[in-house]
Amino acid sequence: MYDFEYHRPANVEDALKLIGERGEAKLLAGGMSLLPSLKMRLARYSDLVDLGGIAELNGIRRDGNALVIGAMTPHAVVAASPEVNSTIPALASLANGIGDPLVRNRGTIGGSIANSDPAADYPAGVVGLGATIITNQREIEADEFFLGLFDTALAPREIITAVRFPIPRKAVYLKLRQQASRFAVVGVFVARMGNGARVAVTGAGPSVFRVKDAEAALARKFDASVVKGLQIKQDNLSSDIHASAEYRAHCTSVMIGRAVTAVS
Amino acid sequence: MSDSAISTRIGEPVRRKEDLHFLTGKGVFSDDVSLPRQAYAVIARSPHAHARIRGIKTAATLAVPGVVMVLSGDDLRADGLKPIAHMPTSTHHAETALVNSDGSEIFTAPRYALAIDKVRNVGEAVAMIIADSVAAAKDGAEALEVDYEILPSVTATVAAAEPDAPRVWDEARSNVCMDAQVGDPEATETAFASAAHVVKLETWAQRVTGVTMEPRAAVCEFDAATQRYTLYTASGGAVRLKEDVAHVLGIASKAVRVVMEDMGGNFGTRGEVYPEFILVAWAARRAGRPVKWTCERSEAFVSDYQGRDLAVTAELALDAQGNFLAMRGSNIGNAGSHTVSFAPLKKGLGIMSSIYRVPAAHFRARSVVSNTMSTRPYRSAGRPEVIYVMERLIDLAARKGNFDRAEIRRRNLLSEAELPYTNQFHMTYDNGAYHKVMEEALTLANWQGFERRRIDARKRGKRRGIGVANYVDTSTGAPRERAEIIVHPEGKIDVVIGVTENGQGHETSFAQLITEWLGVPADDVRLIDGDTDIVKVGGGAHGGRGMRMASLVIWNASKQIIEKGTRIAARMLECDPSSIRFDSARFIVEGTQRTVGLFEVAAAAGQLKDLPDDLHGSLSACSEEIHHVASFPYGTHVCEVEVDPELGIVDIVGYTAVDDVGRAINPLLIHGQVHGGIAQGAGQALLEQCHYESETGQLLSGSLMDYALPRADNFPFFKTGISEVPSTTHPLGIRPAGESGTTPALGVVVNAVVDAVAEFGVRHIEMPMTPERVWRAINGKQPPSSVSTSR
Amino acid sequence: MPVVSMTVNGNSVSGEVEGRTLLVQFLREHLRLTGTHVGCDTSQCGCCTVHIDGKGMKSCSVLALACNGSSITTIEGVAVDGKLHPMQQAFHEHHGLQCGFCTPGMIMSALDMVRRKGNDLDEHTVREQLEGNLCRCTGYHNIVKAIQAGAAAMKGDATPATQHD
Repeated sequence: MYDFEYHRPANVEDALKLIGERGEAKLLAGGMSLLPSLKMRLARYSDLVDLGGIAELNGIRRDGNALVIGAMTPHAVVAASPEVNSTIPALASLANGIGDPLVRNRGTIGGSIANSDPAADYPAGVVGLGATIITNQREIEADEFFLGLFDTALAPREIITAVRFPIPRKAVYLKLRQQASRFAVVGVFVARMGNGARVAVTGAGPSVFRVKDAEAALARKFDASVVKGLQIKQDNLSSDIHASAEYRAHCTSVMIGRAVTAVS
Repeated sequence: MSDSAISTRIGEPVRRKEDLHFLTGKGVFSDDVSLPRQAYAVIARSPHAHARIRGIKTAATLAVPGVVMVLSGDDLRADGLKPIAHMPTSTHHAETALVNSDGSEIFTAPRYALAIDKVRNVGEAVAMIIADSVAAAKDGAEALEVDYEILPSVTATVAAAEPDAPRVWDEARSNVCMDAQVGDPEATETAFASAAHVVKLETWAQRVTGVTMEPRAAVCEFDAATQRYTLYTASGGAVRLKEDVAHVLGIASKAVRVVMEDMGGNFGTRGEVYPEFILVAWAARRAGRPVKWTCERSEAFVSDYQGRDLAVTAELALDAQGNFLAMRGSNIGNAGSHTVSFAPLKKGLGIMSSIYRVPAAHFRARSVVSNTMSTRPYRSAGRPEVIYVMERLIDLAARKGNFDRAEIRRRNLLSEAELPYTNQFHMTYDNGAYHKVMEEALTLANWQGFERRRIDARKRGKRRGIGVANYVDTSTGAPRERAEIIVHPEGKIDVVIGVTENGQGHETSFAQLITEWLGVPADDVRLIDGDTDIVKVGGGAHGGRGMRMASLVIWNASKQIIEKGTRIAARMLECDPSSIRFDSARFIVEGTQRTVGLFEVAAAAGQLKDLPDDLHGSLSACSEEIHHVASFPYGTHVCEVEVDPELGIVDIVGYTAVDDVGRAINPLLIHGQVHGGIAQGAGQALLEQCHYESETGQLLSGSLMDYALPRADNFPFFKTGISEVPSTTHPLGIRPAGESGTTPALGVVVNAVVDAVAEFGVRHIEMPMTPERVWRAINGKQPPSSVSTSR
Repeated sequence: MPVVSMTVNGNSVSGEVEGRTLLVQFLREHLRLTGTHVGCDTSQCGCCTVHIDGKGMKSCSVLALACNGSSITTIEGVAVDGKLHPMQQAFHEHHGLQCGFCTPGMIMSALDMVRRKGNDLDEHTVREQLEGNLCRCTGYHNIVKAIQAGAAAMKGDATPATQHD
C-alpha cells in the first residue's frame, strides 16, 4: 500500500472540506473493497477520509412508504433489521448474502453503491426497487446513478448520505455465486411494485442493468409464464474464466423466471 | 508422571497435545519469527511467461529511501551460486522405473534461485530487493527496470508436447524431456482385437495448487564469527532443506542450521526447497544483517509449486461378460518451466490399473516442460489422476455394456487369494480385503436405497446421482529415517526424528507409540523434529511416509531402550537379565514383586559407576533404517450429488469413505486426515484450477478471488469408516492414511455427477465441473471459446 | 507519525503508525500478538479475524487508525487465566484443527457467530456462516462439529464470548 494521510471527520461538512482541500483524497466507508485494492497498489491517494465517525450517516428509518438507510449502515445491520425484514425482506436477504459475515459487519451500503462493482449485490437492489440515492447535494434516481464499470453519477465532492427504497408489494433477490470470490456471476432482483414490476440484474455485465422486456411483460401479467424462455442479449455481458456471456445470459433468464415465481 | 486415566496407547482417539498453543494464538509460524536488525526482502518477478532478459537497471531502485541492496541473476552468477539440486529422477526401489524408450538421457533443466538470461514462467524470480521495510522494498521493486524481449510461450500440456511448440529450453531437443513406455504392446493389441467392448477417455486432470493457509516465509541470519547460517522457515523436511541450501551456496551442510517450528500446511507443494529460502540466506551474508521474506497470497499463486496437470488418453477393453482384458494409452505430465519432479507421472503410471485384474496393458508416459510454474507432488502425487481415469473408464464401460456399476467392479476387483499381485506396470500390491471394504462402503452409503433418493430429488426439481470408486495408493517416499529416544530421569522422554510435523498431529500420534511400547503417557513425551542441529537425519513428511517410517525407527529404538534398560535393571535388581520382563514402564523380575521403573533405570544409567560403555550415561537409543518397501493403502469411496439441471449447480449431498490403514494408531487423527483429503479431491473435481491464458501464459487465477477453494458450505458431513487389515509389507502392519481421502475423490465425484445427468445423454464432464461445464454437458454444448480450458 | 490508542485484550495500548498501517500489522508487528494471521490479500481467508468493539472483522482490511479508541479482542485474549474458553475447548475435543493456521480466525469467527445466531446452531447455519473463513486441512467436518458443540457449551457458561459483548 502507498502511504496516505488518514482523517476521521465527525460530520459531513468536515469530510467535504477535507476532500476539497486535499489533492488526491478518497472517501473511506467500510473499506472492504478499497483496502484490498490499495494493498495491491492498484490505486494511490494522498488522503483517506474515513466516514466511520459520522453518526448521522448510520441508521435505518421508515419514511412514509419508503425505507431510508444511512450510507454508513453496515450490511449486517440491514440484514438483521426488524424494520427492513418487515418491509422489504428481499433487501435484508440481499444484504445477508454480501461477502461473508465478517465483511458484513464492516462493509456499508454507501460504500458498495459508490464503488459500483459489476458483481456487487446492492446495485441490483437499488435499481430493482427504483431507489433514490441521497447525497449532500441532491437526490439521484437509481436509473441515473450507475453509469458503468466502477463508474457512478457521483461528482468529485459528493457524498452519499442515504438511500431511500420504496417499499414494494413483494420482491426477491436471487444470486448465482462465483465460486471463488462469492460475488454474483448473476444476481437478479425482481420487485413487484404498486405500479408494475422492476427487474434488475447484477454480475452479468459491466454494470447493473434492467431487463425492460421482462418488466413490460410482467406489467401486463405478473406471472412466471410470461418470462419463460426470455432471451437475454449476450452482446453486453461479461465473459471470464468463471462464466461465459452465453451462460450468464441463460442464467439471467432462468433466474428471472424463478424470481417471478417466488414473488408471485 | 501425568494423570494416565486416559489411555494414550495405540488405537485410542487421543486428543492432540499440540492443540493448546494453536488454540491460544501461541503457534509459531514462519512469519511469526522476527530477528533484531532484520531487513526485508521483496522479490521482483517476471510478468512474462517467456522472455529473454536483455538487462536490469538498478539505479532507480537503489535510490529509493530505505533500499539496501538489489540482487539479480548476474550477482548470483558472480557469487558462484549453483543450480538448485532438484532430483526429478530419483527413484524408490518399489516404484515403476521410467527411462526414455529411445535410450536417450532424460532432460533435466537447471534451476537457479534467480533467473539467469531468461524467464520461463510468469512469477519466476528475477531480482531480490532488500530494504529496511517491506514497503520500501516494494517501492524499490516498482522502480526496477528490467528489459525483456518477449518470446513465444506454451502452457497447455498437449500443446507443449507438439514438435513445433515454442521451445522452453533451447538446451533440450524438444519440450518432451521424458518419453517412456511400460507394458506389453503386443499382448495389449491382441487383447483389444478380441474385445467385445472398448471404451476410451481423453481427459485432463487439471493443474491445481496447494494453497496452504500459511503463505511461505523465511528469515535467515548469518553469523560472521562462526560462518554459519541459521534459517527459520517451514518445509516438508528440515534435513533435506539444510542440504539443499548448503549445496546451492557451495558450503558444507553443517554450516547451515534450519529451524522449523509450526507449519501451516504442506500437502507436498511446500515439500521442497524454494528459491526464496536460498535467497534470504545469501542476502543475509551479503547484507550483514538478517533478511526476512514473507510471501503474499497473490505471489504464492505464481510462485508456489503447483500440482496434477496430467493429460491422458486411455482405453479399456472388456469381454462380453464385463471382464477387463487390457488397457492402453498415453499420459503426459506437465512439469512446468523446470523439471522439479517426475514423481507424479511415475507414481501414477505405476497404478494405472488400480486394484483391478487387468491382464495386459501398454502405456506411453511423457513429461513436458512448459511456460508455467513448476509442478511437484501434491497430496497423493499422480494417483488421484489415474484412479480418476480408471474409475471413469469403468463407468463408461458399465454404461456402454449395460453392466451394473457395482457388479462390474466386483467382477474385476482382485480377490484376497490373488494377492500379492504384480500389475502390468511392475507394482506389487501387498494384501488387502478389497471386496470386503467395497461392500462396507456401499452399505454405509446405502447404495441399495439410492433409487428412492433419486426419485425424491426429482420431485424437488433436482437430478441426483451416485458414484463409487475404488482406489489403491502407493506410498514410498524418502527411504531413510532415524529416531533417537532419550529417557530423562525426571520422567520425560525425548524423541528426535526427521519426520516433520505439518499439521498431522505427530506430537500426539508418535507419542502414542511410546505409550504403547514403553508405557509412558503421551504427555510425558516430547517430539523434536525441526532443528537440524539436533535432527541430523530424516526424510521429512511426504508420500505417506510419516507414521510408516517413524513407527519403524521408534519401534526399533524402543526395543533397544528396553534391552538396555533390562541390563541396567538386572544390575539394580541383582538378577539375570533373562529373568526380567518389561511392562508398563517397569522392569519386573519374573515371579517376584521386585521392580524398578524406567525412569529410575535412566537415573541409574548416569549414576552406576561400573556399567559397560554402551549402557553408561543416558538411557538412550537410536535407530536408523533404510526401508525401500512400498505400502498400499486402499479403499472405496461413494459420493452422492444433486444437480440443478437448469443452472448446472452441483451440491455434494453425501460422501462415504472406507479406507484401510492397516493399523490405526489414532482414529481421531485418521478421520481428520481423510476429511481434509476428501475436501482437496472434491475441490479439484468441482472448483479448483490454475487457469493459464493460452495466448500470453498469464495466470488468470492469481488470487483467492479467482481460484476457488472449497468452503464449509461446499460439503455435508462425511461418513468415514476405517478398515484395519495389517499390511504385510510393514513390520507393524501400518498403511498411511494421509492421502487416502484425496486419491479416489476426483473420480468418485465425477462419477456421481455424470450419473446424475446421464439421462440427458451426458457420458463425461471435465474437471472442474463448474456450473457452466455441467450446464453445457446437459445441453450438448461445446466449451466456450472465451475460456482457456484446453489440456 | 500519528499515534493510535486502543484497548487490546483489556490492555490499553498505543503506538506510532502510518496512515496505511493495517490493524493486523499493528497487532502482529507493533504488539507482537502473532496469533492473528495473514493468509491472503483479498479478504477471503479469515485468518486475521478479530473482534472490534465486539464484532468479528477482518483485521487485514481495517486501518489501525480507524480503531482509535476501539476495544479489540484477539485470539490471545479469549482464554481467561489460562483456562480455555468453551469454544477453544470444543475445537480441541472435536479435532477441529490440524495445521492450526486458520484456527485463531475460525475461533474468533465462531464466537461472532454465536453472538449473532445464538447457542443452538444447526449444521447448515454453521456452514453458511463460515463463508468468511477458509481451511485447507480439515474439510471443515470437525470445525463444524466443534462450533456446534462450543456454542452449546457456551450456554450458561459464565465466560463471555468476548470481553466486550
